[in-house]
Amino acid sequence: MKNEQYKVHPGEPVGMIAAESIGEPGTQMILRIFHFAGLASTMTTTGLPRLIEILDARKEPTTPQMIIRLKESYAKSFEKALELASKITEVRLRDVAKRAVEDFQNKRVLIVLDKQALKAADMTPSQIAGLVEKKFGAKASVTKESNLILKPNVEKPSEIRNFSTRVMHSLLKGIEGAGKAIVSQDKNGEFYITSTGNNIEAIMKLESVDAQSIYTNDIFEVYRVFGVEAARNAILNELVRTLEEQGLTVDKRHLKIVADAMTAQGDVKSIGRHGIVGAKESVFSRAAFEETVKHLVNAAAFGEQDDMMDVAENILLGKLVPVGTGSVKLKVAGDAKQKKQKEKGE
Amino acid sequence: MQEEKCYVYLNGIVIGSVKEPEKFVKEVRNARRQGMVSGEVNIAYLPDINEIHINADKGRPRRPYIIVEDGKSKLTPELIQKLKNKEIDFNYLLRNGVVEYLDAEEEENALVAMDEEHITKDTTHMELTPVSVFGLTVNTAPYPEHNNVARHVMFASYIKQAQGLYASNFNLRYDSRGYLLFYPQRPIVSTRVYDDLHLEKRASGQNFVVAVATYYGYNIADAVVMNKASIERGLARSMFYKTYVDEERRYPGGQHDVFKIPPATTENYLGEHAYSKLGEDGLIEPEMHVEEGDVLIGKVSPPRFIEESIGVGSLEEKVRDSSIVLKKGESGVVDSVILAGTLGATRLAKVRIRSLRIPEIGDKFGSRHGQKGVIAMIVPQEDMPFSENGIIPDLLLNPNGIPQRMTFGHLLEMLTGKASSLAGRLADGTAFSKNGKQVIEESAKILEAYGFQRYGEEVMYNGITGERFKATLFTGVVYYNRLYHMVANKLQVRSRGTVQILTHQPTEGKARQGGLRFGEMEKDVLVGHGASLLLKDRLLDQSDKAEIWICNECGSVGYYDYTKHVPVCPLCGSNNLSKVEISYAFKLLLDELKAMHINPSIKLGEE
Repeated sequence: MKNEQYKVHPGEPVGMIAAESIGEPGTQMILRIFHFAGLASTMTTTGLPRLIEILDARKEPTTPQMIIRLKESYAKSFEKALELASKITEVRLRDVAKRAVEDFQNKRVLIVLDKQALKAADMTPSQIAGLVEKKFGAKASVTKESNLILKPNVEKPSEIRNFSTRVMHSLLKGIEGAGKAIVSQDKNGEFYITSTGNNIEAIMKLESVDAQSIYTNDIFEVYRVFGVEAARNAILNELVRTLEEQGLTVDKRHLKIVADAMTAQGDVKSIGRHGIVGAKESVFSRAAFEETVKHLVNAAAFGEQDDMMDVAENILLGKLVPVGTGSVKLKVAGDAKQKKQKEKGE
Repeated sequence: MQEEKCYVYLNGIVIGSVKEPEKFVKEVRNARRQGMVSGEVNIAYLPDINEIHINADKGRPRRPYIIVEDGKSKLTPELIQKLKNKEIDFNYLLRNGVVEYLDAEEEENALVAMDEEHITKDTTHMELTPVSVFGLTVNTAPYPEHNNVARHVMFASYIKQAQGLYASNFNLRYDSRGYLLFYPQRPIVSTRVYDDLHLEKRASGQNFVVAVATYYGYNIADAVVMNKASIERGLARSMFYKTYVDEERRYPGGQHDVFKIPPATTENYLGEHAYSKLGEDGLIEPEMHVEEGDVLIGKVSPPRFIEESIGVGSLEEKVRDSSIVLKKGESGVVDSVILAGTLGATRLAKVRIRSLRIPEIGDKFGSRHGQKGVIAMIVPQEDMPFSENGIIPDLLLNPNGIPQRMTFGHLLEMLTGKASSLAGRLADGTAFSKNGKQVIEESAKILEAYGFQRYGEEVMYNGITGERFKATLFTGVVYYNRLYHMVANKLQVRSRGTVQILTHQPTEGKARQGGLRFGEMEKDVLVGHGASLLLKDRLLDQSDKAEIWICNECGSVGYYDYTKHVPVCPLCGSNNLSKVEISYAFKLLLDELKAMHINPSIKLGEE
């Protein structure tokens, strides 16, 4: 009985209500972001910019973030967490090198290493030399000042330049795309890792990681790895998180409608002219939203037809809007209809 | 260690470097104070970036300071005495290194004391007067240092809207709009700046007896309750002047406008009644009562196009009416009429209308603390709260308006205003002249001496029931301004009325008898409630409903041929058309699409 009571009535404009219910508190969002000095944590986009990012279905979040939980046997140990973090953190040659000097005459590249960065990344010059040799097939040697000299098997200066840039960008350690991992401790004293990148597929394979509780704020990453259903939940979670952070209470069901609308077509679509609005069937609906001329001209060129069935078109026309009281029509019994026609005919 | 060079910039361009910047800056300053360098040169040493900036160009805001050296103000008591005796003037102080002007950059090097008490050994300058931290406008308000800054900004904008004696020659002026307050008073709690500006000669408000109290919910959210008897005695009464202007314009071809009572044959003739108040010269007579629709200046103009004149009658008779008519909703008395010549050798007429503006519900008032409110209720004197002395406030201010806004100056003004009224003298509320405690205690002493409660509270009685209020009410005297936003000038109603030609939608704005826009967000509300029929009523039935004929065969828009009594499709010639009700705006859209070579066709469904 109670359940029946809480059901939405037929013809209720749930989309409109959802839009207003999210839009109105959205006007109260603070654009200012608080910084906590000295805290070892990653800065994430929050508030209105993040909300826009989610709804626009951006391919990559401006501040990607992963929260990696460890298996119980690892979670209590800071050392083990730290070990995992260093395993995850991306280290590229440019991160541990000060600069690359190309010697075109002798066809070699001198890499000046940053001793401090090297120490922080827990690597040795010979280790790097080995990695580069393996990856690029170039001869690498360590100098007295513990710098690297690379001899690529190419001739032309342009190729050498190309080689040096590629080497500088090459991944020496860590997981591709995982960014920088930081160890944090939660209230229960368990250690976990937050990271400024995304690659849940690779990280889930790591032995010490609790694969089930891995979290990412990259909706497309979730979509790629787990599919639309998961992406829909990811959108919902991110929306809830963003709004809650701002101290705004929006009913989850409104957000569910948004998440559903974004994923109903089998992939993640944005809310806007490139996404679900642009995919609307009605010409007038699209023209009323954005790029009016483009839609009208295309409609004319391709002879499109508009059924005039949605809200926007009917407002334009001055007809009853098919929501609420306008969604019901009077059904006339067959003989009554004939009778009416007869009257008209006379 | 090698000493870094300190570069010297003159008007933003490097002209050299010095080794001891501080010494150099000091030397330049001393030279300026001795008159060897122009007083308009400012020099600043910026230690953070180790640069010296010398500015001598235009466009720098600068303000004067008294120079302080070795913890002593250069403006000595002797000099002050000489100033008082008018032996010397301000320029003397400038020339003799007592006062100097600093720009924004040099201020960075200065440590400015507010007054002599605050001078320390590091102090370099002193304010001429502590009052100067506020602007002129804010300084006309009492106790500004006790208010929130945001309220100063608001007061500064409200005081500009205050009605008062705006010019002593108001009777000779023909301002397009003028607001003249009857019996303006000088504030009981004044300031030194107010007096120096001689604003008491152009006062713009009156001292109200105010009680901080609620009144049956009538002064919720910044509304105020006013005493009807006070208003009837003339409180905050004002006159509104409006001038209408017209000119006998000349046109190419020797024709020109004529001020006169238009003959009945005139095009756009407004009817005999409308011109009934005009004199022989076509201008309205002074002291005549005028209502909306009355003609103030009768004028005829030559026809707009020559073609119009070709027809029956001579050119002389074919004129059109271009009289000035009193606008809708306006009324008053003709105050004065003048007829003058212009440089273009045409005649110019000005008609000034005056109308009385007695405070009514919806009129706006504001104190000098950024506290504004509109009258929500005018209560008969007998229903207002009264004190045991029989004092009945002019205005009831809601106490909820005070704490959040932190306008403590308002309360101080009430207290000192009350004390000064009793003592029969004016009070000084200049910023920083006294501390708050001092102000309160001084007033408390006076109040006590006159047999009142020390801190301004009064035992009051409910005017309606006669019961004593459990709480005491804080009462006092506050200087209130009547702001020029008055309902009489803003009131407008419309049920049906004029529509725009292009869209067939109602016009917008008061001047055009327009409706209020039912906008996109309002639309969202109705859609959100599912109120389809109400939405249709707003957007179609009460707006731009149009009936058009749609061809059932080709889908184009047709028309009804009233001679043959059949609808016709101009495109396919069919007579098989259906009448549909749509918004005219949509028809316009279809027309515009056709204009850009897009042919929309409409397929009608079953009814």
